[in-house]
Amino acid sequence: MNRLSRTKILGASVSLLGLWIIVALLSLNIGSVRVPVGTSLRLVGDFLAGENPAGDPLAAVLFSVRLPRVLLGSLVGAALATAGAAFQSLLRNPLADPYVLGVSTGASTGTILYSLIAGWMGFGIFGGGAIFARPLAAFTGAVLTMTAVYLFAGRSSHHSESSQRLLLAGIVLASFLSSINVFLLTSMNQADLRGIFYWLMGDLSRPVDPSIIPVTGLVFLGAFLLYLFSHSLNLISMGENDALILGIEVRRVRNWVYVLASLITGAVVSVSGPIAYIGLICPHLCRMMFGSDNRILFPTVFIFGAVFTLLADTLARTVLSPAELPVGIVTAVCGAPLFIYLLHRKRGNQ
Amino acid sequence: MSGEPSMLEARHVCFSYNRPIVRDVSFSLMPGTITGIIGPNGSGKTTILRLLDGIIAPLSGEVVLRGNTPLSSLKRKEIARHIAMVPQNGGSYFYQTVFQFAIQGRSPHLSLMGFESMRDEEIAREVLEMTQLSHYLDARVSELSGGEKQRLLLARALAQQTEILLLDEFTANLDINYQVELMRLVRRITREKRLATLVVSHEINILGTFCDRVILMSQGVIRHQGSVQEVMTKEHLKQLFGLDFTVRPLPGGRMEVLPTIQ
Repeated sequence: MNRLSRTKILGASVSLLGLWIIVALLSLNIGSVRVPVGTSLRLVGDFLAGENPAGDPLAAVLFSVRLPRVLLGSLVGAALATAGAAFQSLLRNPLADPYVLGVSTGASTGTILYSLIAGWMGFGIFGGGAIFARPLAAFTGAVLTMTAVYLFAGRSSHHSESSQRLLLAGIVLASFLSSINVFLLTSMNQADLRGIFYWLMGDLSRPVDPSIIPVTGLVFLGAFLLYLFSHSLNLISMGENDALILGIEVRRVRNWVYVLASLITGAVVSVSGPIAYIGLICPHLCRMMFGSDNRILFPTVFIFGAVFTLLADTLARTVLSPAELPVGIVTAVCGAPLFIYLLHRKRGNQ
Repeated sequence: MSGEPSMLEARHVCFSYNRPIVRDVSFSLMPGTITGIIGPNGSGKTTILRLLDGIIAPLSGEVVLRGNTPLSSLKRKEIARHIAMVPQNGGSYFYQTVFQFAIQGRSPHLSLMGFESMRDEEIAREVLEMTQLSHYLDARVSELSGGEKQRLLLARALAQQTEILLLDEFTANLDINYQVELMRLVRRITREKRLATLVVSHEINILGTFCDRVILMSQGVIRHQGSVQEVMTKEHLKQLFGLDFTVRPLPGGRMEVLPTIQ
């Protein structure tokens, strides 16, 4: 007997939040300058109490470097993991993820195009402009890519076939858009090729700009709205016909979920670049831990995405210290083998 | 027909998909009654079920709930509180437990956040009791036999607590003893809960034995409808299938129907 209870969801979410706090403290601690956990806690406590810890050199490291990065990594991971869970349910395909489907790459194309135009108009390359404009451009890129993938894949009456074609179309479009991205970026008169290169791999080392405020808002709002569709998605992932019979407006739910998942993907990609496979890895690990009911998957994957990305990013900035890797390298190294494993298992099922 | 109001009524319903599939179809489903639709492949039977459940909309004509509410004016969730359907080919639900599957029938009654209450859980247990699946609550759906899976689909439909039940090829691919067992169950529940039940099936003899009314269709048109004895005659069946049949009246207005094959 396992009616899903709110208590179970709350328990799972709270335990994961505890894990997130531990990992965050660890990540604040580790780096070229070690900030002891006690000091971090004291400084954050002081800050929250309204005291100005200026003058303490550790405070400078903590507040201007580590903490923003920890929060940014968490936000990006939460968003990409949630988007992955949504795409997997919607397409009834365990391999779907914003990166594999080309949505992340499309969002980065949107971001680059916006930056080019903003550059011509005299704004800075990655900053500047209205703070909403860059996330909006990324979202537009994400939605257009998803639509294109859908159109290229075409419709097939056979579910597994159409689902595979969708993935193929996504992979092809992603590689095409990657080339476009490189072309656009190298044609820019811009000295920071290394920065661009890192951003294209998915990178969290860039300092945050004010657009992080609307991005954060969009991610939380989008993830909450997606949560409202979690039960409908449970039924849709069994089959469209069954969902219709049980009273789900399949088309409406589908459109909303596409838009919301693209929205949160676009929002974070505009900041971090397309980080690979987070949306593939995190939902799978969460399903193993908590089962496949979306009502428990969505809240847990949101927090777990944050935990996972923080771990990956901490690894990325320490493994070759003092040099830093883009976090996308670490996630791709974990994600690619999982993708292959799932591909094999899926064939085994059929 | 008595003066009792119909639960669900098709009024001059037409539907095409490249070619006409359903043409000017009118009939009513009455409470406590099993209606059967018989017809050769491609006669539009499944399309009619989809029209009756509002999954597709008629090109002309209308489907009316309880005599005055056009189905087209209702949201899907509202329709699912009145009409339950057992689909012909269910989706992929092998990883779920029997209980999880059955409680999904409560979906149209859930609030925005989509959580089942204690009451929903109780209803799920009741319908599993009714369909004799209580001892399988925690079993995986994939572990059930063909007949048990059909009972589970019926349980999910019953959990919707509707007054109308549509069954699409409910007994297909089952041994005759399971077919009879399932139809006895459907008949008992139809009588007890005063459901308006519609059964689409290829099993002519099963329909002749269990239905109160039958509709004979071919090429999207209703050829005959009425009581089993009026409709299931040698002549009508020969028209429909081009075969000779032996028909023998049974007590209670039923018919035994067998094709005569040389």
